[in-house]
Amino acid sequence: MNPLLICTGLTMRFGGLTALDNLYLEAREGEVLGLVGPNGSGKTTLFNVLTGIYRPSAGKITFAGENITSGTPQEIHRRGIARTFQRSRLCLDLSVFDNIMIGNHTALRLDFFHNILRRRAFCRDYELWRDKAAEMLRALNPSLVSRMFRPVGDLSMIDRRRVENSRALVRRPRHPRLHDPSAGMTHDETRQLMDEITASRMGGDRLTVILIEHEMEVIRRSTSHCVVLNFGRKLCEGDYAGVVADPRVQEAYLGKELE
Amino acid sequence: MSRAAAIFSGPLGCILPAFLLLAWSGFFLTAEDQTSILLSLLSLAGFLLAAVRLGWVNILREAIAVQERLWDACLITIMLALMILFREDHYNLFLLGTIMAYATAVLGLNVQLGYAGVLNFSCASFFGVGGYTAALLLSGTDLPPLLALPLGGAVAALTGCVLLLPVLRTSGHYAALVTMAFALLFRVFLDVSEWFGGPQGIPVAPLTIAGLDFSQGILWGDAEFSFYLKYDLLLLLVLCLAYSITRRLERSWIGLALDAVRSDEVASACFGIHIRRWKITAFTLGNFLSGLAGALYAMMLAYISPANFTFADSLLFLSILLLGGIGNIQGVLVATVLVVIVPEKFQVIQEYRYLIYSALVLLMIVFRPVGLLPRKPRAYTGSPA
Repeated sequence: MNPLLICTGLTMRFGGLTALDNLYLEAREGEVLGLVGPNGSGKTTLFNVLTGIYRPSAGKITFAGENITSGTPQEIHRRGIARTFQRSRLCLDLSVFDNIMIGNHTALRLDFFHNILRRRAFCRDYELWRDKAAEMLRALNPSLVSRMFRPVGDLSMIDRRRVENSRALVRRPRHPRLHDPSAGMTHDETRQLMDEITASRMGGDRLTVILIEHEMEVIRRSTSHCVVLNFGRKLCEGDYAGVVADPRVQEAYLGKELE
Repeated sequence: MSRAAAIFSGPLGCILPAFLLLAWSGFFLTAEDQTSILLSLLSLAGFLLAAVRLGWVNILREAIAVQERLWDACLITIMLALMILFREDHYNLFLLGTIMAYATAVLGLNVQLGYAGVLNFSCASFFGVGGYTAALLLSGTDLPPLLALPLGGAVAALTGCVLLLPVLRTSGHYAALVTMAFALLFRVFLDVSEWFGGPQGIPVAPLTIAGLDFSQGILWGDAEFSFYLKYDLLLLLVLCLAYSITRRLERSWIGLALDAVRSDEVASACFGIHIRRWKITAFTLGNFLSGLAGALYAMMLAYISPANFTFADSLLFLSILLLGGIGNIQGVLVATVLVVIVPEKFQVIQEYRYLIYSALVLLMIVFRPVGLLPRKPRAYTGSPA
């Protein structure tokens, strides 16, 4: 399998703090890459650098053979990279449908003529997307369909995560990144959600996913390959069993035994 | 659903409230002495409180949502009926005109602040740019006078471009400061500028469309209707247009993009939404509407001076938006009527109007930050899904 995404020598400094330090990372087409590491190890920074929110201090990011190192978030999204956020950044006062359509922004017709003057054509266009969103939601949680025009703020945590994942997946990106999809949910809910995500992966498209997750059980079940970060550097990589058995990883999480 | 609720979810649910509204406003506007004005205000407040408590407001909002065209027609009919009622009464027709001009300007502000979240503390300045543009165009050029309206809007939108860079580069308090500074500068600029008449201001030539002079009354048999009637009709047309455009804007992908920009710039950027593009769109469109309203308002006033477009007026526009419910254009209409009409008619508070506005705005922020009529989730096709 070819690497879809390659980072070489990726470095991100904030003043005196080096959040990412000369990092090499590759994600192969179609795999689910688990990104783990203790708090402050640079996982979130890596996501923000990869999606163009931060501009890296040094290094290079290649996606599908193209250099995307200094792209804006908009340019990077256009290439098919979508993400969710650690603390789900949904627009709570907007409806479920609105939030999903924000993820669909680049597929929408945005000219004044279409939106303001040709209302009949707009309504047909709208109904098409409404049905599509309903179909997506039905696959996740049928009860969400009837709440499609309610504010997201009214939903439970798991449903919010579902909406957020739908927002990231609605444009059928080649490379979604999921950040802490289980945060704020019970174990059962997490398992259910991950099953849903894997199901949407199996549905024809071979999505390449990078998953940040603190719940090790989720990592074990969902990922084919893991990368462990610590202090902005790659500590080790491999399959789940290999990684958890690695004494360096145990040391990073639990600290060194006193001599 | 109870039987009463079933009846009022039909056409009656729109027509009856509209009729009550017309009757009350007719009575209120013709009332002369301060006690009857106070009484009618108190009765309105009592009635509204009861309506909220008994859930009538929600019944009305639902009735409006399912029969929007009917409600639009009702509102236009109320305005027309009031105009006919006061056909010879300069003062009340002028009040109606002011309400409609202000409402149009606040609709512009609503696109900026309510949708895209772009703070603008200089709405009255753009209103004034439109007014001064109309004044200069009508007296100094041979352009068709009607063109002064769109040009007033266009010049206001262009003037807004001066502010674009600072507005895009700042956010929150800083953006507020930048626009405040602009409002103050605008006032000073007018005061010292000979060309714009300095502090005394300049006269605005009346509008003429196809030989129809807007400064002349309308002769109808023996009666002569006030010339304000013509301006009111034109203002009503402009308000309807602005209202319709803002409403369609909200119910479109553009409205969604503006909302996304307001609620989370970082997340929006990650889904390919160009933050600057939409902020510029909202700011420019809003200023255009304010300028358009200002141009027509200036013609109606026939004489404008810097005192018409001060920072305090910008705050007035903002307080209308806050009072009505940010982002809800129906709220804009309600709040404009209240904010314009109450101090005008209720002379006792005239002197303290800014004091009362400030108190009102503070109370709103503390007790009901969402405004009188909070915005509902978007319904793209009008009727709730």
